Amino acid sequence: MEKLTLRYFLEMSGRIDLQLRFLAGEGGLNKIIKTGEINRPGLALAGFFDCFAFERIQIFGQGETAFMSKLTHEQKVTVYNEFFSYPILCCIFTYDFKPDDLFLEYAEEKNVPVFISKRATTQFITLFVHVIDEVFAESLTLHATLVDVFGVGVLLTGKSGVGKSETALELIERGHRLVGDDMVVVKKIDESLLMGAGSEILKHHIEIRGLGIINVREIFGIRSVRNRKRIEIVILLEEWDSSTEYDRLGLDEKKYTILGIDVPYITVPVRPGRNIPIIIETAALNQRLKKVGINSARELDERIKKWIVSGGGK
Amino acid sequence: MIEKDVVVNSDAGIHARPAMMIVREAMKYPCEITLIKDNIEADGKSIMSVLGLAIISGSKLTIRVNGEGENELVNYIIKLIENDFKI
Repeated sequence: MEKLTLRYFLEMSGRIDLQLRFLAGEGGLNKIIKTGEINRPGLALAGFFDCFAFERIQIFGQGETAFMSKLTHEQKVTVYNEFFSYPILCCIFTYDFKPDDLFLEYAEEKNVPVFISKRATTQFITLFVHVIDEVFAESLTLHATLVDVFGVGVLLTGKSGVGKSETALELIERGHRLVGDDMVVVKKIDESLLMGAGSEILKHHIEIRGLGIINVREIFGIRSVRNRKRIEIVILLEEWDSSTEYDRLGLDEKKYTILGIDVPYITVPVRPGRNIPIIIETAALNQRLKKVGINSARELDERIKKWIVSGGGK
Repeated sequence: MIEKDVVVNSDAGIHARPAMMIVREAMKYPCEITLIKDNIEADGKSIMSVLGLAIISGSKLTIRVNGEGENELVNYIIKLIENDFKI
């Protein structure tokens, strides 16, 4: 799991349009967000501090801010004193409501970062939870190549030297998109969704024996790459071994388990003269067909069985 | 299977050329070689994979080798890293 500091969260919040601005409490920006849970501190502001979830991110919506604006200076001193006596992680004000100067002074003194967002509270929370869930999602780095083939996320695995990168290059040349080569970071977004992304540092570079490192985005243009893609099928590239039994029917579906999620899995043997990219394109399309409920192998099998039962055309 | 730890001390970390030196040596062996940094595993036979680890000066690295000649390979890689890739 990554360590998510408030500073990093502020930096990345622009990418997800949380419309977050920093107001006060810079000394606390290196604090780490340990949980994606949030708290609405309305009760605390009213002076009720039992079960106060101070370790969560405090979100001040319209109710809280309306209440604060009704407090006299003396009441504010009493409430803020108690509120800031807890090790608060940070406070976020929605609806672009700027808290009073006294609140900001306390925050500055106690190193509690205060942010303000233009978004409405529920909208903000929905976006926020989505982002935080992804950060805290279980993740794994795989030695594999991820390509979007006809909209299907194809994860190519196999030993080094089997031709993953060359296959990816040929797929890119045929109009498909590279997500990551040789290193793919996989995140379990929920119980059925695996999201793959390339390594931040390698970003759409690919190594081809004999050429060296090339920049796919520069050579093939923006349409040849994408940043992330759901992983929908795993294809193992393997050197052709005549003693291995390869699947000839496609009736049985094999699964590859990544972070506890089963992904359809096929093995494609590689040998000179076999056009691997076309096989992968077909595998991707076949996977899409299966998703809409059409299983070619099973349907042909059913037809043959019916034909046999009916007397074989006699 | 053999596993050894090493701390990278070269100022420039492991950039393209040092990565190539590791991979070139690894390719001479039939073994599987994995470089591990901060729980992230990289294939020691893939340049992109090794570069993707973003190994900087001070990084702790675990090298796991499995297969024929594993001792020889792991020792050579460690020597390479300890001698700042000047062998």
